[in-house]
Amino acid sequence: MPAVLRRDDSLVRPHPDIKLGPFGPFPRAPQRRELDRRWLHYAFLSRDNRLGMVSNVAWLGPAPEIPDAPQRVTSILLLYKRGVGWLSSQWNTETTTPLWSAFRQPHPFSEPGRLELRATAESPAIRFQLQRTSHPCTSQCAAFARDQHFRWQSETGVLAYGDWTFDNEVLRDVPAIGYHERVRGYWSWPELGGWVFGFANDPATTAPGAPPPTAVVFTLIQPPNPPNATAASVMVWRDGHLRRHFPRRNITVAVRGELARDRVVTVPEMAKLFDIPPMAPIPHHLMITGRLGADWIMLDFQSETAARIILPSETGIDPCSVHEVFGPCRIEGAINGRRFDYTTFGIVEFTGGAGGL
Amino acid sequence: MAYSAAQLFVDTVDGLSRRAPAIVATAAHQLGNIILALHFGDGSHGALRAHHSQLLASVDRPAAPTVEAYFDNRALNLLFDLARQPADQLLQASLDVRGERDDVLATWRTFRLLAQRASGLRAIQALWREYREQYPDVFGQPANPSIPDVGDPAFVPPRGTGWQALDYLDQRYPEDNGAVQSTAGGTILVQSRKLWDGRGSHGWWEVTGTLDADLLEVMERAKARVQEEITRIIPDREPKAYLYNLIRDYPSRGGKGLRPTLTFATCAAFGGRSEDAVRAAAAIELFHNGFLVHDDISDESLFRRNVETLHEAHGTGLAVNTGDALNLLAVDTVLSNLPTLGLARTLGLIHEIIHMCRETLEGQAIELGWIRDGIVPSADEDYYHMSTKKTGWYTSISPCRLGAVCAGVTDPHQLNQFNEAFRLIGIAFQIQDDVLNLVGETELYGKEALGDLLEGKRTVMLIHLFREVDSATRAWLTKLIRTPRLEKSQSDAEEILAAMRRVGSIEYAITLADRLAHEGVRRFETDLEFLPETEAKGILRQIANYVTTRPL
Repeated sequence: MPAVLRRDDSLVRPHPDIKLGPFGPFPRAPQRRELDRRWLHYAFLSRDNRLGMVSNVAWLGPAPEIPDAPQRVTSILLLYKRGVGWLSSQWNTETTTPLWSAFRQPHPFSEPGRLELRATAESPAIRFQLQRTSHPCTSQCAAFARDQHFRWQSETGVLAYGDWTFDNEVLRDVPAIGYHERVRGYWSWPELGGWVFGFANDPATTAPGAPPPTAVVFTLIQPPNPPNATAASVMVWRDGHLRRHFPRRNITVAVRGELARDRVVTVPEMAKLFDIPPMAPIPHHLMITGRLGADWIMLDFQSETAARIILPSETGIDPCSVHEVFGPCRIEGAINGRRFDYTTFGIVEFTGGAGGL
Repeated sequence: MAYSAAQLFVDTVDGLSRRAPAIVATAAHQLGNIILALHFGDGSHGALRAHHSQLLASVDRPAAPTVEAYFDNRALNLLFDLARQPADQLLQASLDVRGERDDVLATWRTFRLLAQRASGLRAIQALWREYREQYPDVFGQPANPSIPDVGDPAFVPPRGTGWQALDYLDQRYPEDNGAVQSTAGGTILVQSRKLWDGRGSHGWWEVTGTLDADLLEVMERAKARVQEEITRIIPDREPKAYLYNLIRDYPSRGGKGLRPTLTFATCAAFGGRSEDAVRAAAAIELFHNGFLVHDDISDESLFRRNVETLHEAHGTGLAVNTGDALNLLAVDTVLSNLPTLGLARTLGLIHEIIHMCRETLEGQAIELGWIRDGIVPSADEDYYHMSTKKTGWYTSISPCRLGAVCAGVTDPHQLNQFNEAFRLIGIAFQIQDDVLNLVGETELYGKEALGDLLEGKRTVMLIHLFREVDSATRAWLTKLIRTPRLEKSQSDAEEILAAMRRVGSIEYAITLADRLAHEGVRRFETDLEFLPETEAKGILRQIANYVTTRPL
């Protein structure tokens, strides 16, 4: 006889400000525990690959000692300009409300939306018009450490058009293409271990507003416990639709060399006030292969420069370091008998360090 | 004339002695007292033995070898090539090692160390590549299987053929040519490693094993980078003839580049950008040169790096003024970190610099006081104390601490972790420098021969000599060292040297330096264990071992 399940309405009460898709993997339930996390993530590269942008907005659960305090939100904006370097806000970027998200329903493809992010010091800042071209993947999940989990859902081929503000310069009407993601989960940084994550859109354009011919998103999450908790996937979009998901058993990942320390900057600026433990070198080469039946893919990424974002850990002394790495990328593969290959720039995240080295 | 395999082996060991002292010291420790005879497939022969922490290789056949090893061409092919199978997977019957069981195992460990750690050095790779190219018929293809070219549109990767990211990485980038060289890295080839193969997982941050570095190359780069910065810092203005040209003089006479290498490497080892440490490294060099100018005046030295000292060339008045200006310029250079490193780190640097200068001045005062009063301390510990203050802080301890501060480390506990290891290494280094002044070639050492004896410098050898000789000789020596330098003759210095040789003072100093250096290396490995294994830490490790393998 099935158990009688009582629905807890408090868990499904819509959040007054943020509406993030359907119930289930990304519930509208409020964040009740300190380590309940919700993110919106954005990453863009200008069409000429000279500019890069990464931003993350995180809503955190209540601090245990002050449960009725306003919700904690951190947001960072990171801009990169080739030949110049990285520019970062602190953890208090000012944003438009509500934030643009492909996962906010309904969301017609033809409807452009506005995304504005600005450091309180006015720079860096972006003012984009965004337009969807593709469909998101189904939600992905990594479960680890008994009751912790990390869920994410990705959408590639997001088009951006707008202004990039650096210290003394505003670059206007720059076309860019990028990636959007939402995350929901419950995790502590030491238990999560680390991840290698990245994306690469085919830079070729077929028509205005059209999706990239091919796009790739890969993820490798490596929690220390339990032993077999590693989550890995490579997803391939063709013409805006997810066509192939290479599961973890069908993927291999290897690295080689190290990126010179002089090519890594630590951000945000405020992090430099504290003693930050050294982090392992960022690999210089990243190679990912996947195969599934006759389908196969190979991704060859070379690190060119990196920004090390310092994330304080709520449960440990060592901070978690998220390295946003920018560099050239070569993708080759075949899906359903159709060959594809392209060279572009990609953004890869190498994350870890909270569990000590 | 063909380049023989034995000569290649000797060149490899010589190269490693200059470039990677940590590897050589570890290998020498494994080899112990074994005398190794090497026979190669091309008919050449070589010998290898350890002396203290040095490896001595030669192209000859030792008279009474403990162990004999034979390499055929295939075995040689595999010994030093990172792109091929490591030495413990050699082909059967291609390598034959004979001797007592324990000695054979020790020899095997030595080979393994040389092959697996040294093979990462780009310079050693280049040496062996050149040799292989000389004999294209002898050497086969790399051990890694050839991988199908995925550029072929029709290619469908077959199942179970090792179609792994690791293989592709090695195939596409067999020598990792894309590595960026910097003042704290890029001198070694790092083997590919898998993060995930569908079964097992290794975090990208999990760096295992010991990383090494090419010290020679890194020191050259560090020296050049700091020289460039010093050139930029020194103003291009009048009075050139009386001041600014003189300021440029000592820094341009060169040096080993040990101090800037320590600063760059420590900064990088703590996760900082070595470029952020450039001005701190330049400031130390400017202070150092300022001290040298004044030191040469007080020691009445005639030559510095085989060229006239500044006061000899331009007079004492201008030389004193130049020393002052160098020190002022150094302070200015430290302060110039403010816009890039921020207030906290710059204050940390100032604190470290003040400490370094105070220690140096106190050490100099102790030694000058001893010389003025004709005192020769009786205990080695007195020398350790003086030497650490006079040279230890600014040659080895402070460069590390300053590099760490540049990376944002201000925790005194972490900074203090450098003190003991580099104090011991610094003393050992100074003792070796003093030995070299007595027995080294002037050309290499750069100072006048027996200059230390002429100026009455208190060295471990002199202290040992005073301890060991009878009272009559001690009285003669006391009178001699109290004689002003200009009244001493070269034959006086040679007589002291002869006395030192009679009582074994030089051998005593060499052994003492070796013991102190080993203790320093041990402290390095334990006290700095918290630093992750990176090439930058590998550089620090090489410097820690540099003293033990320096040819004397």
